[in-house]
Amino acid sequence: MGVGGLLWLSAILLMARTAQHAEPFSQLHPWILMINVAGVVVLLALLATKLTQLVRDWRGHVIGSRLKARMVWTFGVLATLPILLVYFFAVQFLNRGIDSWFNVEIRRSLDDALVLSRSALETRMRDHLAATEMIARELSVSGGPLPGNLEMLRRQVGATEVIVATENGVIVTMSKGLSHDVVPDEVPGEVLLQVRQGRPFVSLEPLAEGGYQIRTAVPLGASSGDRGGMVVQATYPVAERLGALADTVQAAYQQFGEKDYLRKPLKASFILTLTVVLLLSLLAAWYGAIFTAQRLVQPIQDLVKGTRAVAQGDLDTRLPLTSHDEMGFLVHSFNDMTKRLRRAREAQQQAQQVAETERANLAIVLARLSTGVIALEPDLRIRTANRAAVSILGEELDGCEGRGFAGIGGPDGLLRQFSEACRSRLAAGETEWREQLVFPFETGRRVIMCACTPLPREGETPGGYVLVFDDITAMLQAQREAAWGEVARRLAHEIKNPLTPIRLSAERMRHKLMPAMNEQDARLLDRGTETIVQQVEAMKEMVNAFSEYARAPRFEMTEVNLNQLVTELTDLYRAQVAGRGVTLDLQLDPTLAGVVADRGRLRQLLHNLLTNSVEALEGRRGGTISIATRRRAVGDDEVAELEVGDNGPGFQRELMGQVFDPYVTTKARGTGLGLAIVRKIVEEHGGHVEAENRPDGGARVRVELPLNGVTRGEAARREPHRPEPRRERA
Amino acid sequence: MSNSQARTSGIEGRLSRLPLAWVICFFATLVVAPARAETTVEVTRAAIALDEGVYALDVDLALNLPGGARRAIEAGLALRLYYEIEIDRVRRYMPDPGVASLVQNYELSYHALSQRYLLRNLNSGEQQDFGGLPAALDRLGTVRGLPLIDASLLDPGTTYEIRVRAELTLRSAPDTLSWLLFWTDDWSATSDWYAWTHRP
Repeated sequence: MGVGGLLWLSAILLMARTAQHAEPFSQLHPWILMINVAGVVVLLALLATKLTQLVRDWRGHVIGSRLKARMVWTFGVLATLPILLVYFFAVQFLNRGIDSWFNVEIRRSLDDALVLSRSALETRMRDHLAATEMIARELSVSGGPLPGNLEMLRRQVGATEVIVATENGVIVTMSKGLSHDVVPDEVPGEVLLQVRQGRPFVSLEPLAEGGYQIRTAVPLGASSGDRGGMVVQATYPVAERLGALADTVQAAYQQFGEKDYLRKPLKASFILTLTVVLLLSLLAAWYGAIFTAQRLVQPIQDLVKGTRAVAQGDLDTRLPLTSHDEMGFLVHSFNDMTKRLRRAREAQQQAQQVAETERANLAIVLARLSTGVIALEPDLRIRTANRAAVSILGEELDGCEGRGFAGIGGPDGLLRQFSEACRSRLAAGETEWREQLVFPFETGRRVIMCACTPLPREGETPGGYVLVFDDITAMLQAQREAAWGEVARRLAHEIKNPLTPIRLSAERMRHKLMPAMNEQDARLLDRGTETIVQQVEAMKEMVNAFSEYARAPRFEMTEVNLNQLVTELTDLYRAQVAGRGVTLDLQLDPTLAGVVADRGRLRQLLHNLLTNSVEALEGRRGGTISIATRRRAVGDDEVAELEVGDNGPGFQRELMGQVFDPYVTTKARGTGLGLAIVRKIVEEHGGHVEAENRPDGGARVRVELPLNGVTRGEAARREPHRPEPRRERA
Repeated sequence: MSNSQARTSGIEGRLSRLPLAWVICFFATLVVAPARAETTVEVTRAAIALDEGVYALDVDLALNLPGGARRAIEAGLALRLYYEIEIDRVRRYMPDPGVASLVQNYELSYHALSQRYLLRNLNSGEQQDFGGLPAALDRLGTVRGLPLIDASLLDPGTTYEIRVRAELTLRSAPDTLSWLLFWTDDWSATSDWYAWTHRP
């Protein structure tokens, strides 16, 4: 680029020099012109490329293209106007200046000088012609061209040379001054031709060595007519001073004529030179305008690109610092800003990562937490809920994030009751409370201990609430069972011991006293002691039952065929219930495998359930006791299901949550321990039991026992595991 | 003596003097330029003759100078004629080596004061003057007895090829303005080579 520029600059200077001092460069003129034209063409091509790119950028809405176009236009116009102005005046000046060199006065003066010079010389030429004619006459008179006469005549007229020749140019005789070449000049053909035509010849002849001579020729004897066929030619010198003056006039006239002839090419050449320089200047100015605009706009384009990159999150963008001016300061500020933003983002990312880690840990804790946790937005929309909450409330909460907490869940469901209870308290302005909530449920009441705490505010926005709750139904049940167990143990210990002495004392009294009494007293004593014995016996049974409930049995875990056990027991009961009009309906699953359990405890369980059903159907005709076994999959495990139902009156609704509690019974003679023992046996085997009223009337108790043989210890360990215990709805 | 001529196109010869880029740039101008009379020069006859142990050359040219060129001469420009004469030894299978070459320069100009045309041999300095341009051109196109080469320099029995070519061009009398002629009509012309063989 630089070399090209220097070459063009040199070409311009050479072209200008050619126009002024052409001689050294006249041969190179076409090449110099070609280089300049090539420069114009190349520059034009470059400019066209740049302008095309600029137009394309403009149409493509490239960043900075409009500013660049405006700058190019402004620079270009500012450069073009003065250049065109200078060009216009330069062309005018050139035309008028060159024309002034060839004005009419100069031409006329030169013509006049030429005419004047010719006049001066023609006077001499006429004189010399007369002298030559005189020589011819003398030669004719003297009888011939004798050398002596000729020499004398030459000296007389002052001629340089006198030649007498024939009409064909053959020299007959001659006379020539000693100072000149002795070889005579031949007589030119035109001289001979003119003389042959009878006309004298006279002409002014420039000499090769400088100066002039006058050549004259006349026919010999032309006046007398007797010397026809001969020519006398005489040449005369022109005075040196006169010749020099004539040379000056001739040179001036010749140069003027030559320049006048070349006036148009001269003007064309000068104007072309000027035009080429103008074009080069104009194109260079426009190219320079584009280049300068590009240089000025480039940092702005970089800034815009950088800003967009930053807006898209690329904070690693760094702009090149190309200058140290205000634009450079701007670029430096931008780079500094991106650096600060990058650091801030890194700090934020680190903080976010820490928060994410903590959140993940919290999520893990929440997920593993057996306590249900539900976080609510200030407007009571669910923010998050852990799995324990789902397990406790019995309904799926996945995808409920963002939904309103109030009114969520199915009708009469635990979730709906729980949400309504919480909503009513929050609506009443109670943001921090702890309460035991009791909800009626289809399989019994559920007791949930719930604590509500407001979350810290995030700036101006309230932080929402967090509900932490746990299902303490089982815990309360366990507490009740433990209490009842203690009661039973004490009853067994405190009441059973005196019963035997009471009975023995009563029997002794009858045995000792009755023979000594009269008949009436004896009957009274007999009835009294009989009553005592019977009541003692009844109390003993009751105490035994309590003792059975309270004691920790010894397990002998074996594989028990549940179907076979059911069949055996029902066979025992079948005869007993047949007389009461009750039928037994067995539906046994033949695919049911053996259950690992204590056979005696399972027999006790079945006995209690059948007794319950038989007692429930007492006094009813058409009673039916249905017993069914099934093999069922629960999650990854398989369970053996035993269902015992009847079409009796069913459980009282108000006692639905307490049917497995000890001493809860609606029968006149019941101890209230039957179902309590059933549940205890089920729990000892790691299963679960639930009781409900059948839709078509009657009660139904469903027992699930694990088929993979859970021991009592394992069952105890499984107790905290939520999904299984939560299925113990009664 | 057997003669052979090698002719090339006059237009090609003229264009070959111009830079190619210039021709390309102004191609359109050249193409659309109106037809005009052109200067032509042709060697119509050339021969050598032995004269006292020296071969002398005679050349006859056919010159055609259009009116514009004549006016340019009358305005003060000079017409120059260059004779290029070359003698090569003819060999059968190898390039022909040059034996001698000669350039004769003549200049024809108009002397306004004397109203005569001056013809100068720029090699010898001899000058002749003529009252009219036709006579001057006739003389310019005629070469008689130009000493060419000593006979002793040519081997007897060897064939030599002698070539003659003439180039006509207008120049400014002082050469300072000759570059401007680039912008005028091109009155220049170059003849084809006139060649013949000679065996001493």
